[in-house]
Amino acid sequence: MTAKFTSRGLTAIVLPLAALTGLAGTAQADDWTPTRSIEFIAPANPGGGWDTLVRTTSRVIQQEGLADQNFAAINVPGGGGAVAWAQIAGDSGNPHKLFATSPPIILVPLAGTSRYDHTDFTPIARLITDYSIVLVPMDSEYQDLNDLFDAMRESPSMSVGGGSAPGSMDHIAIAGVASAAGLEASGVNYIAFSGGGEAMTNLMGGHVEAVITGAGEAAGQLGPDSQLRALGVSSPERMGGPLADVPTYQEQGIDYTFDIWRGVMGTPDMPAEAVAYYEDLFAQMLETEGWQEARDQLGWLDAYQNSEEFGAFLDAQKEEFSGVLTELGLIR
Amino acid sequence: MEALNNLMFGFGIALEPMNIAYVFGGVFAGTIIGMLPGLGPISALALMIPITFAMEPSSGLILMAGVYYGAIFGGSSSSILLNAPGVAGTVATSFDGYPMAKQGMAGKALAIAAYASFVGGTISIVFLMMVAPLLSRVAVAFGPAEYFALMVLGLTAVVSLSDKSLVKGLIAAVVGIMISIIGIDLQTGTVRFAFGSAHLLDGIDFLVVALGIFALAEVFYMLLRGGGGKEPERNAIGSLKLTRHEVREIAGPISRSSVLGFFTGVLPGAGATIGSFLGYSMEKRIAKDGDTFGKGNIKGVAAPEAANNAACTGSFVPLLTLGVPGSGTTAVLLGALLVMGVSPGPAMLVDRPDVFWGVIASMYIGNIMLLVLNLPLIPYIAKILEMPRPLLLSLILIFCMVGVYGMSFTVVDLLFLLGFGLVGLGMRLFGFPAAPLILALILGSIMEESMRRALQISGGDWMTFIDKPISMWLLIIAALSLLLPLVKPLMRKLRARA
Repeated sequence: MTAKFTSRGLTAIVLPLAALTGLAGTAQADDWTPTRSIEFIAPANPGGGWDTLVRTTSRVIQQEGLADQNFAAINVPGGGGAVAWAQIAGDSGNPHKLFATSPPIILVPLAGTSRYDHTDFTPIARLITDYSIVLVPMDSEYQDLNDLFDAMRESPSMSVGGGSAPGSMDHIAIAGVASAAGLEASGVNYIAFSGGGEAMTNLMGGHVEAVITGAGEAAGQLGPDSQLRALGVSSPERMGGPLADVPTYQEQGIDYTFDIWRGVMGTPDMPAEAVAYYEDLFAQMLETEGWQEARDQLGWLDAYQNSEEFGAFLDAQKEEFSGVLTELGLIR
Repeated sequence: MEALNNLMFGFGIALEPMNIAYVFGGVFAGTIIGMLPGLGPISALALMIPITFAMEPSSGLILMAGVYYGAIFGGSSSSILLNAPGVAGTVATSFDGYPMAKQGMAGKALAIAAYASFVGGTISIVFLMMVAPLLSRVAVAFGPAEYFALMVLGLTAVVSLSDKSLVKGLIAAVVGIMISIIGIDLQTGTVRFAFGSAHLLDGIDFLVVALGIFALAEVFYMLLRGGGGKEPERNAIGSLKLTRHEVREIAGPISRSSVLGFFTGVLPGAGATIGSFLGYSMEKRIAKDGDTFGKGNIKGVAAPEAANNAACTGSFVPLLTLGVPGSGTTAVLLGALLVMGVSPGPAMLVDRPDVFWGVIASMYIGNIMLLVLNLPLIPYIAKILEMPRPLLLSLILIFCMVGVYGMSFTVVDLLFLLGFGLVGLGMRLFGFPAAPLILALILGSIMEESMRRALQISGGDWMTFIDKPISMWLLIIAALSLLLPLVKPLMRKLRARA
């Protein structure tokens, strides 16, 4: 009696299960979906740009119900990303591991402190961009970018602060625009602070002449009561909100733009179906209201590129950065 | 008067039932996070960002600020009971707190820590409220040259922190500076002492060293001495009550360290850890019984605890008035505020007074809650000492390992923890003081970076350190504090002769 009952009970359970797995099996052939939760790595400590991107996208995807599986935000700090990259590079083909990325994926390997660069990983999508902005104190004599560069030509020891090490994002951003304005890139006396915030307090205290930082980060500092003045922004067109009055570099006759882009990459040799799945997922996410709200609050601009475009873009960025770094004498 | 009106407005917000619940939740969670070594306020706050997203900005900041100062408040418990600093800011508390616990005065040490934290926190909120906008000028007045001078002044404390042998103290300090150099050099991008390992590129985390050299070394030391674990007096918690004489004794250190700690906190990059060390060494130097510091002096618990809590509040000054984060923790807070649609900065006082004044008022409430919450809990928390020694030692070991692993999720850091435990044991056996090493480790990298930055700005001109008045005065004070101990005996001799 009992035996019979058990076997009946079992068939009752097994049948729907078989149907489910069968369905999933056919689905996998053309349309891959994640089978467990996705590790979404921020290769840095909590609080920075990568971390914010990872946490914001995970939250939006979850709130909008875009994926069946959970996106788990994980921080793997160290070496400006190098520690996380080394870990991810060893997980070839794993379709359940993604990480947030931005120019350091190119700059850190160029500086020689990471064995892995963007070609070791699978581009998924570029999501957003920010631009860099040049700031001076309100009482500074420099009214526009050309004033500043003229003064730098006169006295090369004039200090420009930034929030990262030489050869990294802020330094490239200021050296690049200086070079476009006819100065020697290596002539910029770039002072490296350990973060954009520290650079900003040093500017307010008059310890450096100017500071280069992210426009999104600076937006909160610029307003009616501001102690700072923005001389120029690296975007191709004027930005909105509190930055609407800030002229672009190009408007001031300096033909140069600089993107602080951020995107998502996956493990080396991630299967093409998985890449397609994530590409679509992030494209869908950008359309949601939840994303648009968060994006505006953080001062980001959408800059979507799919996997293929993003890959080509990364190659082009590497060319450009190597050029500036060579000019700076930071790579030989 | 206006400040009072604003404060009333703030209390109106902070006393809303939901906000009271948030303050309580924040400080309660913070206390527990603080007690667990390794799990610091930074990671806790990062985890909370998604929760606060949908909240009113004032409520969100009230909750998160509560976690932050709650953690600094709670961090003293593990420093005192286990010699394992719960958060970086409470390392100095263990110098005298742990000896007190060993002498059967754990209850008293915890009570002093709670009172000092409360007073330090409250005094600094008054400062924050009255002079925050003015203080933003102090925060920006410190450039690289000034920071260098401040760090030099801080390092002179090595003299007072090396108990018997100055030479051994200096050796420990040099080792500390050497450890601080490991990693990518910010000024040139050069990798130093990393031996090709990606794990060393960011250097070694301060807490790994502190937990190894203090907590783990203590475990090893006890194991080495062995002897069945009979230490009756260690297991006594003792009374929580302070005599009138003791209250009078710690009143001075607490008020001085509160002010000192607050100003250290205002400076971006300095923060609670440096504040507590400065408070400790200042009190040790001016105390008549300075030589009993490090052996269980109640002033040695009161000073760093008042200073670290005051510094924690002080670190809100650059965040709220300038919109720039002064520390890792306030950087996370800034991120959270931006996500909630508030940009802190000069305009915030005008645009979002509810956030500014609501948080300030909630801090008063939070500090009272912390005191009321912590005092009755002391006998229970201190019970941990009544555990059989094998259990207690294993527990310290587990705390340290989980804490360190939780910071970076790498096994490499566990090996460093073990290594520094052995280093700490060796230092104890051969009479090298650990405090100078830790102090130099904290100050070393800021000192080096500031010096090179200052010289890069001045075009290599060393006069920059003397041309700037703040820097000059700090250096003069540093020189005096080094020379005075030498001059004093000389003067005494001269006077005796005359």
